[in-house]
Amino acid sequence: MSFVIRQIAKRADGGDIIRTRSIDVPEITVGRGTDCDIQLPDLGVMLRHARLSLLAGGLVAVEATGGIPLEIGGKFLNRAELDVAGNPVIDIASHRLTLSRGEVAGSIAITAERVVADAGEAASETGVFSLRGVMPGKRGLAWAMVGVVLLAFLALPLWVFWHDAPEAPLTAAVKRGWQPDMVWTSGPLSTAHAGLANNCGACHQTAFVSVTDSACVACHTPDAVPNHAAADRMAKGRLISTGFEANVHKGLNLPEGRCASCHKEHEGPQGALMVAERFCTDCHTGLSSRLLDTGIADVKNWATHPQFKATVVKAASVTAPRFERVLMTRPPVEQSGLVYPHDVHLSATNSVANMVRKQGLASKDGALACNYCHVADSDGVRFRPIEMEKNCGACHDLAFARDGGVVRTLPHGKPEQVAGIIRDFYAVRRGGVELAGDGRRAPGVRAVPLRAASGEAALAGIFGEKGVCSDCHAVVDSGAGRGALRYGIAPVTLADHYLPKGDFVHKRHETYGKLTGDAACVACHKGVTTSKLASDVLLPKVEQCRDCHGSAKVATNVPATCDTCHGFHYGEGVPGRPAGDGRRHGRVVAGAGRGAAGVSAQVGR
Amino acid sequence: MALRTRGRNSGRTSGRAVTRTPRDTAHEGFLAHAGYRWLKVAVALSVLAVAVYVLTDPTPRPNGGTFAGYLLGTIGAVLIVWLSCLGLRKRIITAGPYSLKAWTSAHVWLGLSLIVIGTLHTGFQLGWNVHSLAYVLMMIVIISGLYGIVVYARLPAQMSANRGEATQPQMLEALRALDRQLDMAAQPLGKDETDLVRLSLEQCDVGGSLWERLRGAYPGCGNGRARDAVQGLVNAQMRVGKPDPRLTQILFLLERKDAALAQARRHTAMKTRLDIWLYVHVPVTFALLAALVAHVLSVFIYW
Repeated sequence: MSFVIRQIAKRADGGDIIRTRSIDVPEITVGRGTDCDIQLPDLGVMLRHARLSLLAGGLVAVEATGGIPLEIGGKFLNRAELDVAGNPVIDIASHRLTLSRGEVAGSIAITAERVVADAGEAASETGVFSLRGVMPGKRGLAWAMVGVVLLAFLALPLWVFWHDAPEAPLTAAVKRGWQPDMVWTSGPLSTAHAGLANNCGACHQTAFVSVTDSACVACHTPDAVPNHAAADRMAKGRLISTGFEANVHKGLNLPEGRCASCHKEHEGPQGALMVAERFCTDCHTGLSSRLLDTGIADVKNWATHPQFKATVVKAASVTAPRFERVLMTRPPVEQSGLVYPHDVHLSATNSVANMVRKQGLASKDGALACNYCHVADSDGVRFRPIEMEKNCGACHDLAFARDGGVVRTLPHGKPEQVAGIIRDFYAVRRGGVELAGDGRRAPGVRAVPLRAASGEAALAGIFGEKGVCSDCHAVVDSGAGRGALRYGIAPVTLADHYLPKGDFVHKRHETYGKLTGDAACVACHKGVTTSKLASDVLLPKVEQCRDCHGSAKVATNVPATCDTCHGFHYGEGVPGRPAGDGRRHGRVVAGAGRGAAGVSAQVGR
Repeated sequence: MALRTRGRNSGRTSGRAVTRTPRDTAHEGFLAHAGYRWLKVAVALSVLAVAVYVLTDPTPRPNGGTFAGYLLGTIGAVLIVWLSCLGLRKRIITAGPYSLKAWTSAHVWLGLSLIVIGTLHTGFQLGWNVHSLAYVLMMIVIISGLYGIVVYARLPAQMSANRGEATQPQMLEALRALDRQLDMAAQPLGKDETDLVRLSLEQCDVGGSLWERLRGAYPGCGNGRARDAVQGLVNAQMRVGKPDPRLTQILFLLERKDAALAQARRHTAMKTRLDIWLYVHVPVTFALLAALVAHVLSVFIYW
């Protein structure tokens, strides 16, 4: 009846030291205390931790004496009877006691060894001083990040690109949500294309092939976006890049002359509409040397923009007026057929000014205001056509008689009618008729002579050299024929648009420096107040525009690119004006066909 | 200088062909290598980038898709790939014009010039996309590298000062020795007292978590808690009489361990700051290379 105790200790070099002793007692104690039979030098062990007693039949009674249950076969028990035949195991803190039959019959062997390493010993140099223990490895991190980036930013978008059939571009946006290939966007789309933001394939149809025109014309039909010029002329006029630049374009699969060559997308709300000046000057610099029959002057840049050519009336006509583009290096002259001295009408001291004051017409500093005749059109780009009744009639009225309280008025522009009316009037009232109304008449001009002896005499007075018509019209008295047939009134054609190849939005130019109103008008239209002849074309020259646009002299320097004034998709021949629908100006002038170079003929006789 | 002159003279007078130029013993850091050669190159490159950016027409707006954009992008991409090759290069140490020091100097200065080149390449157009991802990753790499240069310049001196003559293993061995003494000193004590000592032995992580290392603060440290508690016990005993000498011995050991821990942890904190940037710099470089591939491919796929 004895216990054989084998205590195993680790040597510094890793080997075991086994101390064996035999105790011939029926009961042994286990604990940290030096008085224990099995002393376990572990602070987790109580001073007196357990007691083992031999029982009959190879059984050992185990009892926890330190107040801490013993871990026996995975269970925590305060007391147990163990069969030594089963080699039971008791775990006490970091130590393990294994019970077995001793070599001597009836003896119990207890092997005690430390099975959990000392906590203090576990701290290794790398564990403490390097980040290896507390950070994932650099290599692992790198692979993980590479994986995430390639998956989310390359594989997924690629998968979408390959598996996503191009959808109808305009309806698709509604149905689709966020798409993985949207991470490839290089910037926000323009406002007009914002609906395509989640439908990359609508434009980017083939990998490694730059966006083709076919993607654009799916929506922008050629009718809506007319050609700048015929395709063959465009091709001929373009400066074909050579050498390195050509190789770059070819190598990178970037054919020139596509929609996207000029219209850059993914550049923000206005991006697609902002076109670099060089896209124009690429062709228009030296165009005449490539397109030999072109009538368009070469333009290198704004600073060397050629002088304007005004489209002026060279032959007024009711049916076929003739217009001509005249270089404005010298003051152009036009033959509108009208008699109209601006100086007289803009004086602040003469009888015109008097009439203006009396009638309360629009005026500025006592003189007739520009906008009394030149009334801005609805979008403020140009002006409504001049109408005799509206713009001249207040003074140049055609009243000829007061007929029982009714002022009888002659129709303008209808000489045959005038002749008829006068003849009828005199036929009925042969004899004496009162002078018309309040005596208003054109300043300095005598009234229509209604006291004439007969209708013919009255007509001679109206149409004659000193008659009311000759105020504004050139009248030729043939001396033969009756009534209106005797008098020829020169036809009048007023130009509606002198510079039809460019846009000039008058509304945006209502001030000029510190000048406003009429002063702003005459700041550009110089010489208006002194002009005596209707043949004067008082348009500003290109130098006038440069006073503000692209000038370093003024603080409010306004940049000028080609498309400040010119459009591209306005159809062949008229780059300054949209073809047909008038979208750009919002105005379609009756009778202003494209063939007439955008000039409406306002005709009078 | 005198040495060098003598060397030349002796070479001439003796007629022997072989005279070694004495090695320049003055230390020149990698930043100042070859009279700041790579700083000059980097500045020139940056000035060129700015010139290209300013002198080209960017209508409708500056971005990576203009002539200047592609030029800067190409330079940037080549630089990024070359810069990331430092990891390969540093494993092969050679001397001379292509020395590792020269390479590192170029790595740092050219890497910094990427701030200018990369930023101008973006045209200041950033968004939630792969292109800006590559830019942001690049900036993270550069900024982490900048941090690395700063800590490499400052921390080693502080570390030496903190360490005194002790090596890392010696610092740990000191702690182990104290642990053994504590273990032995606590053997005769009862459960309550030994539990306190066990706090110090078992609940005391010298290095601690990444957060603790970065902050240099270990609020839950077992040794600190044990020291406070034992101090409390000793104080209580002193109020009524003479304290248990076994306890005062343990308190003494706990305080010594505290000092040893503080030194080791200061060392760890500085070592952490010295090492941590590479855990950003290197993996993000690889992420950047991946993003760069995605960036370039995506541009050409959606051309």
